Amino acid sequence: MIAPPLPIAEEVPFQAARPGAGAAHVFRQLLRRPNGLVGLAILAVFTVLAIAPELFVGPLETAVTATGPRLGPPSAEFPFGTDEVGRSVLNLTVHATRISMVIGLLATIITVGVGAVLGILSGYVGGRFDSTMMRIADFFLVMPTFVLAIILTAIIRDVLGTGSKEILGMRLSLLVIVVVIGLTSWSSTARIIRSQVLSLRERAFVDRARVVGASAGYIMRRHLLPNVMNLIVANAVLTFAGAVLTETTLSFVGLGDPFQPSWGQLLDAARSVGAPGLGKWWYFVPAGTAVVLVVFAFTLLGNALDEILNPRRRGRS
Amino acid sequence: MGIRFLTRRLGGAVLTIVMIVLLNFVLFRMMPGSPERILLGRVPGVPPAVVEATKIRWGLDKPLFPDQFVAYLAATAKGDLGFSYGERGRPVADVLLQKLGPTLLLFGLGELIAIVIGLALGAYSGWRRGGIVDHVGNAVSLVLYATPYFLLGMGLLLLFATGLGWFPTFGMTELGVTHASFIDLLIDIGRHLFLPLATVSLGLVGQYAILMRSSVIETMTEDYITTANAKGLTDGRILRAHALPNALLPTVSLVAINLGYVVAGAITVEVVFNWPGLGTLTVEALEARDYPVLQGVFLLLSITIVVANLIADLVYGMLDPRVRT
Repeated sequence: MIAPPLPIAEEVPFQAARPGAGAAHVFRQLLRRPNGLVGLAILAVFTVLAIAPELFVGPLETAVTATGPRLGPPSAEFPFGTDEVGRSVLNLTVHATRISMVIGLLATIITVGVGAVLGILSGYVGGRFDSTMMRIADFFLVMPTFVLAIILTAIIRDVLGTGSKEILGMRLSLLVIVVVIGLTSWSSTARIIRSQVLSLRERAFVDRARVVGASAGYIMRRHLLPNVMNLIVANAVLTFAGAVLTETTLSFVGLGDPFQPSWGQLLDAARSVGAPGLGKWWYFVPAGTAVVLVVFAFTLLGNALDEILNPRRRGRS
Repeated sequence: MGIRFLTRRLGGAVLTIVMIVLLNFVLFRMMPGSPERILLGRVPGVPPAVVEATKIRWGLDKPLFPDQFVAYLAATAKGDLGFSYGERGRPVADVLLQKLGPTLLLFGLGELIAIVIGLALGAYSGWRRGGIVDHVGNAVSLVLYATPYFLLGMGLLLLFATGLGWFPTFGMTELGVTHASFIDLLIDIGRHLFLPLATVSLGLVGQYAILMRSSVIETMTEDYITTANAKGLTDGRILRAHALPNALLPTVSLVAINLGYVVAGAITVEVVFNWPGLGTLTVEALEARDYPVLQGVFLLLSITIVVANLIADLVYGMLDPRVRT
């Protein structure tokens, strides 16, 4: 992750899932908070753009289909100007929404999935497994994971070769980024979940389940997982913000895919042609604004969720 | 400070460094293509005898473990990080050393400014929670948190270098200019340093402000603050003598942990401003697939951060007797 996770206090017990406090309830509370409402509204707009970019700006322009002037300023025909081969920056930025958001989503699923599984196992099984896992998590916490991510991405791409294979409409090079983000950022999720499981483990209902003969796997799936679900969701929202930032930064240092441009890839392209130095602001301001808005929205939403689900933060800001 | 505390922390740091060095070895061996082919520059039609000679010359005829691994450990311990593919075969250690100065200058100063301003801002907004400074500061901190460093840099570059023309757009000194005196050189570097430095400081200040603010708010709920209030101490005295020293504690280790994230920002900010430091070097090495340099950067940065964290841990231990276990 590029940005440190905002402080969610680890040791604070999250509200255990009780009957009636379902997703609908949390959602209503979110809408009642200004930060939750603004976050959801911004994300709704970008989700629509990500699902159907063609609806708004037509198919993704390529160097072949480009019709505009080179690095032309905003005009009636090209509201955000054009890039160095004459493609509409508006078209590129809207299409990049899907790439950036899908990479963010997939990376979040991997990060939170790996983090949750390892966190629950580590907290419940304990012993040597726990201490080994936490030693590895500490290692990732201390290391400059971004530099590791750069090297891993470069090496994995060299190993796989530079084909144009696609899986589920995503180019292989982008899936490599997804996996690398997941591999390098699961540790803080694992830590947070583990400390919650440590306290849950001592609760009476876990003891009772064990006494009536429930297996460890059953207890983890049916008793511990539901009780850390709130924590997982709140963490996933903040992880999403971090994943979008990481993807943007990785693309910016040249690891994006020009054939499926994300916002970071556009920013890298803008820098490569010297857009900021030449005063061609329209090339990078739209993509930059999009990144900031999405990360900002996820952070607001994460904070709102934290306020709702975390009993110690209720009534405090 | 107890001996046990010291040995535990030292042991942890050494173990982490060992893991980093191991990872460095494994990653390098994962690369496609055999090392002797890379050394020979991927030219076709090299006679087998030459390939064999190259293998023997670089010790590649020996097994990966333990021979090659031991040789790698010995070389790394001596500071021999191999040779750069890109920079005409210069030793990696030389290349890194040359780029270290500009990075230290930029990020040392940037960290310092951000810590001072961020902690002061965070302490004030936490103390006057709900006030104007708190509201504005919070909003600005959140937006800054959501902005990648390089984007901030591109914005500043556009506004102040290209738009207003107050600062140069790239590099560390004016190209092709010989400076009449040392003062002139300093002024030139200062002009080039201003925008990257502002980017780094602004990027970090929000994080430190958020940390300090929540730390102060946490501290304000402690019983000793209530006691101090009940004793009739003035607000200013409670803040200075009771709240601040305790609220500062957690920021010590958080600043060190943050270093890992700062590195990512470092790389991109340098690229935006063409600052001749480790970040620009990393991206250039990435483009040229100059793996020895990338591995060297990784090793240097991670060990620096582990050591910084160790120092923070020890300082924390000196400041707070509760963690000396």
